[in-house]
Amino acid sequence: MNKVYVVDTEVVTGLGRSVEETWKKLVAGKTAFKPVTRFATDNYNSNLAAIIEEINPSDGKSLIHPLIEKITSCLPRVPAGTRIITATTKAGIDNLEKLVRGNSSGPSDVSLSSISEIVSKKIGLDDHGINVSAACASATIAVAKGASLIASGKAESVLVFCIDIISEFVFSGFSAMNAMSEKSAMPFDKNRSGLTLGEGAASILMMNREAAVKNRFPILGTVSGWGAANDATHITAPARDGCGLINAIGKSLKLANITERDIAAVNAHGTGTVHNDMMELTAFKEVFAGRRVPVNSFKGSLGHTLGAAGGIEVVMGLEVLSEQLLPPTVGLSEPEELAEGMVSSVPVEISGNYLLSTNSGFSGINAAIVLKRGEA
Amino acid sequence: MTAYITGVGWVSASGMGYGSNYANFSMKKGPLPDISRKDVFTEPYKAFGRMDKFSKIGLTAIAFALRDAGLEKWSEKRNIGTIASTFYGCLNTDISYYDTVIPEEGALSSPGLFAYTLPNCFLGEACICFGMTGTGFVINEQSSYGLKGLETVIESIEYMEHEIMLCGFCETACPSNFEVVRETDEDISGSLFFVLEKKISDNRENYGEVNCNENNDVLFNNTVVSDLCMLAEKCLENNSD
Repeated sequence: MNKVYVVDTEVVTGLGRSVEETWKKLVAGKTAFKPVTRFATDNYNSNLAAIIEEINPSDGKSLIHPLIEKITSCLPRVPAGTRIITATTKAGIDNLEKLVRGNSSGPSDVSLSSISEIVSKKIGLDDHGINVSAACASATIAVAKGASLIASGKAESVLVFCIDIISEFVFSGFSAMNAMSEKSAMPFDKNRSGLTLGEGAASILMMNREAAVKNRFPILGTVSGWGAANDATHITAPARDGCGLINAIGKSLKLANITERDIAAVNAHGTGTVHNDMMELTAFKEVFAGRRVPVNSFKGSLGHTLGAAGGIEVVMGLEVLSEQLLPPTVGLSEPEELAEGMVSSVPVEISGNYLLSTNSGFSGINAAIVLKRGEA
Repeated sequence: MTAYITGVGWVSASGMGYGSNYANFSMKKGPLPDISRKDVFTEPYKAFGRMDKFSKIGLTAIAFALRDAGLEKWSEKRNIGTIASTFYGCLNTDISYYDTVIPEEGALSSPGLFAYTLPNCFLGEACICFGMTGTGFVINEQSSYGLKGLETVIESIEYMEHEIMLCGFCETACPSNFEVVRETDEDISGSLFFVLEKKISDNRENYGEVNCNENNDVLFNNTVVSDLCMLAEKCLENNSD
């Protein structure tokens, strides 16, 4: 199998408009949560989200357009022949809201495949690509699928692009399910009571060695292993015993040809919901056989960016390995018992070459990615 | 890499069924049947009634494909993966959900409907119903129905992630004011799923072999197929011999 190198990353989040800005603020323990003004929140159980304030709708187009533009305008020249895989849960769902309310709007942004169409046209790729829809593990599985194409020799270069926006559609849904925290999300905290939504986008350009050298890209890191598994338990709640996540992590470690002892840190899904966080801690306890491996979540800073979360976390995970520093879990005050000695409200220095990044979502899906530092 | 097709199941405007009752097979567009639990399962299955139509037709075709392959019954969870293609996904459910948001500015938003506003939710239902713990996701593509999903399934079987996988598509009719021009002329509603297996024992029946050539064409018994409907027709032709 070919090695899979990450050669370029771009990100836009509520915290920052670049990898560097987002990283600095994550390390500084900042949060992007602000009151939502895009729609009325009076009847929802929170008014907070990690909004990107300067993206505004225009000409009846969805908010996905200015957000896509922010990423694509930063991209380096993407080689011809690059395959594209996008990830989103709801694409331009804000346009469905307008259409259902009888307002003028284009329907095309609503289709999930619109993201790959728009991105591929903007950067001039022949491949119109596919979109992966796997709830909150969408981007993680898109990265895995892209890595698999390169590893198997079916592609030399793959661009993964992930995006989700804050919309009333999604905000109202999580509120109706009582999954949103009234206050800011508190991942892995004893007093956590739900998630806080966020929006963002990221791109991850992956290549085999020959393509990276030929196109003179730097090597930022390696995607060494990946795995996905369903817990076959409930469509909106995780299996309490973490069986699906344990299975996904096992597959990713096996593919990376390492053991759990090689993992320096874990960037967890860590949504801040009672059941997700406990499921993850249960799975980590099993996988790491009681070792207090450093664990963090970005969702107290960036919010839960749904289908984009896994991609944004891969981008930031490469920074974790590069800097050998795990940013704090913002919102954490009193760690859940199983998380004691693992999570921290301050940055933690780490030592090692491998980071595990995990995500889980509706339908019982769990996904894991093993990232390796640099070219090591 | 070769995989064997051991099951085919479908729901369409012409009816629903699986391999052995192939006579009504057609995926032409039209009103889809309303499916009740008794159409699919002999035993009570409480969750079926609460599902949206998209999930019901997807789950039904998966159930029939597994039945056709002799894999419907299970006692221990199994590493079976599923990849489904869709263009419109659960758009009708999205609209039904948002209709509950508008009247009282969100105060009456339906959590039950929101749970089905992701196109991969029916895969979760299938995993629960049939004890399947493999990977599962939905592919949204502009072009021909399901071939990229099938390529992914063959690749996943080749690289040992799964020995058994389901592959197919699920599509309900698009609301008129949401119609989006597609790259393909196909206009299909319904659901069609295949069971693919890496190995089969000598005496086990199967429809034939499927693989990809170096140009990434999908071949069924060494003949190029252009979409999953054509693949089903080829499988069922063999069955009628």
